[in-house]
Amino acid sequence: MARVVTTTRRAGLDPLKFSQPLGGALVFLGLAGAMPVMHGSKGCASFAKALLTRHFNEPIPLQTTGITEVTAVLGSGEELVVHLDAIRAKQRPEIIGLLTTGVTEVSGEDVAGQMRQYIAMMEHTTPEGAPLIVRVSTPDFLGGLSDGWSAALRALVSAVPFDGPDADDARRGSGRGSGGSSGEDTVAVLVGPSLTAADLDELGALIRGFGLAPVLVPDLSGSLDGHLAPSWQPTTTGGTGLAALRRLDRAGLVITIGATAAGAGVDLAARTDADLVHFDHLSGLRAVDALVTELMARSGRGPTHEVRRARARLADGLLDSHFGLGGARIALAMEPEALVAVGSLLHDVGAEIVAAVSPTDAPVLATAPWDEIVIGDLIDLEERAVDGGAELLIGSSHVRAVADRIGAPHLPVGFPIYDRLGATLRTTAGYAGSLRLLVDAANRLLDHHHDADHRMDPHRDHHTQGRDVSQHRIDPFDELDVLCQEPSC
Amino acid sequence: MAATDRATLFTEPACDHNRDKSAKERKAGCPKPTPGGTSGGCTFDGALITLVPIVDSAHVVHGPIACAGNSWDGRGSLSSGPDLYRRGFTSDVGEQDVIFGGEQRLFDTIIEAVERHRPPAVFVYSTCVTAMIGDDLDAVCAAAATHTGVPVIPVHAPGFVGNKNLGNKLAGEALLEHVIGTVEPPDVTDLDINLVGEYNIAGELWDVLPTLSKLGLRVRACISGDARYADVAAAHRARATMVVCSRALLGLARGLEEQYGIPWFEGSFYGVRAMNDTLRQFARLLGGGELAERAEELIELEQTAVDLALEPYRERLAGKRAVLYTGGVKSWSIVSALQDLGVEVVANGITKSSDGDVEKIQELLGPDAKIVTEGSPRELLRIAEETRADILVAGGRNQYTALKGRLPFLDINQERHIPYAGYRGAVELARRLDLAITNPVWEQVRAPAPWDPAGVA
Repeated sequence: MARVVTTTRRAGLDPLKFSQPLGGALVFLGLAGAMPVMHGSKGCASFAKALLTRHFNEPIPLQTTGITEVTAVLGSGEELVVHLDAIRAKQRPEIIGLLTTGVTEVSGEDVAGQMRQYIAMMEHTTPEGAPLIVRVSTPDFLGGLSDGWSAALRALVSAVPFDGPDADDARRGSGRGSGGSSGEDTVAVLVGPSLTAADLDELGALIRGFGLAPVLVPDLSGSLDGHLAPSWQPTTTGGTGLAALRRLDRAGLVITIGATAAGAGVDLAARTDADLVHFDHLSGLRAVDALVTELMARSGRGPTHEVRRARARLADGLLDSHFGLGGARIALAMEPEALVAVGSLLHDVGAEIVAAVSPTDAPVLATAPWDEIVIGDLIDLEERAVDGGAELLIGSSHVRAVADRIGAPHLPVGFPIYDRLGATLRTTAGYAGSLRLLVDAANRLLDHHHDADHRMDPHRDHHTQGRDVSQHRIDPFDELDVLCQEPSC
Repeated sequence: MAATDRATLFTEPACDHNRDKSAKERKAGCPKPTPGGTSGGCTFDGALITLVPIVDSAHVVHGPIACAGNSWDGRGSLSSGPDLYRRGFTSDVGEQDVIFGGEQRLFDTIIEAVERHRPPAVFVYSTCVTAMIGDDLDAVCAAAATHTGVPVIPVHAPGFVGNKNLGNKLAGEALLEHVIGTVEPPDVTDLDINLVGEYNIAGELWDVLPTLSKLGLRVRACISGDARYADVAAAHRARATMVVCSRALLGLARGLEEQYGIPWFEGSFYGVRAMNDTLRQFARLLGGGELAERAEELIELEQTAVDLALEPYRERLAGKRAVLYTGGVKSWSIVSALQDLGVEVVANGITKSSDGDVEKIQELLGPDAKIVTEGSPRELLRIAEETRADILVAGGRNQYTALKGRLPFLDINQERHIPYAGYRGAVELARRLDLAITNPVWEQVRAPAPWDPAGVA
């Protein structure tokens, strides 16, 4: 159980935190034919869009309601309707995720009322009515990316209208996205932000292997995995389809993977009277075993040959990597769910987590199997990594600059990753995914050790480079060396 | 900044974007966001673009996390030394601050930034939320400056007051009001110049500096690519200013002229013709005569070298067709750069260009070229198909439009990593165009999948 501490510093220095609307937008980007809309000024979306584009190397559908200083003061209800209607007419999304921002939350708009009015008007004036509009309250000045993800996923599963058990099956196949199955064996799988497209693929295959039909919500593996669609389109080109969302009530089981999805799981299960099982993450042998045990019980089947092989490989990988990673001093900075996932996996092979920084607080942090987690920024990571003599830093591309400054290797995991390609196809979870992350971490350490053996010159030790050597924690052997260099010795 | 102050920015007499407007248009200011098409940057973004390349200063964002968290260390401007501009500083305003005011938090943030890094100056940016809750940015900056002894410059450019161009302008105003003229340089020469609106994207400045120094010119202040605060503060001692590809900073150039008598011209570093023109303009403003003769000699030398380097590319690029979609001055400066290479510009976007720019474009292109007035991705792809274009030359925002449409693409704006300025850049532009068009991937991705004999649209 980890102790969660907050820094006393007031300034944000090299921020680790991202805003709530960004996290909310990510949920809608994992739905098919969707358009997230930030109810705020132009920059609210353009910065987020630029960042998401750098990470995914994909076009990102994202709009704003273009709040100006005048509408911020005099009321933005009219702007909201005009922009929503223009988006409906121009980009023709099936789902709009409407995310408030700091601007519209401060001015105290009645967004819910304005939206109800718009939807009523649309139903009155057009045959097809309004697209599904999901409103989420995501002020920038509260919480962070994970809170925005959680809020958006909760709003989605609460707002989506269900077809109901007697509904005409004519709707089937009308959705543009994935997850078109229905029936007793449907499983609703709500996921958090730490799973990459490749992780989601592995998760989907694992569940299907037990004869179950998973509907992943959201499903970024269908939309932002990097695929060349037949033609350009202004909304998302894949992800969970509206038709599949409307049939979530047929799922007898709701599985939540990732602490960030827990709240939405409770909401959905309560709404549909389904069973609910929750997993904080799927990184490591024990974590995946727990899910597999559940799936075996649920389906009455044993695992497939592929699953057995993947588990055997992970078990072997734990053995192979424990030499290099056992005792390795590792510093992490990530969103809460990913921090606990990645940290647990490394802890499971005997690594020492010398620094773990989360941008925001979350209940899952307390479950981490090491001593301490700091709520802070990358400056906190840097200071603690130096103090703890970190040998490997794991985190987003922003962490690379920290690693360079202290002379330690960096493994890119998390968001955003913009200094290399294929971030969405790197894995962190599942049997195969956990193995890949372990191997990557071990290899980064091997690369670095290969480059410089610190015994050749203690003063060139990698975590002291560019820093005052006296600040560095001296281990007993170094201490002995120093003593022996003194004339009295 | 009071509304009346801002109104004067829209009547900027040196900007023919404004001169060409009717009285009513001028009063309306910058265009309002178009419903369903609001993805461009905000005013705050524009201010960052103009000021963050001052590399040795701390740039503090006073707002909730969205403003700094999503934007820090996201620029293509390079530094030859200090990297403080790449670090993220924000007051990270929370709910309590929204209710009780964020001034103390901002003050503490500035102090912390100064104590940790001892920068020569701190720039502080307001944002929508902190403008709405009424924090007194000027008072906090003044108090922090007194407390630290370091200049603390307030930049009033909250996102919701307009577009990116307005942010560039407001940043220019902040420099004129608080920075320029505060440092007296010890080493003034008669050939000191300012570059305004050059951000050293992908290190472009470094391809231009050698050419300028061959003429004996010394850049006193580049505003603001690879700039040091003290250099910008001494910009008033330059003898000529060049406004590089950005109408938004004409006000800064005019301010330098009015307050310090520094003459200026508008130019571009893109393409051989534009570079030649730039050298001639500098020579003219700095007195002509012998300098002008040396400029002609230099141009002849560079022209010979660049012609030699371009020869193979001219052959390969002859008759290739490009759709160009970029804004402002760049739309004609890149047209001339492409034409220098024998590339035919079959369509050209003008959404951000003034009428003067448009005339210039039409003069360069002739009557047959298509003028694009709507820049939606769908429309750009349609035009590319209609004109049988070989390549789309546009900003990074359209990169994936082109790629998803299986159309070769060349990034020409802000975020790119390849320098195209100067004579050397002109050769690089040719090389990259050639590489983009002739890359073997196009044939592969346009071929149908084995199970899809009809192929893609």
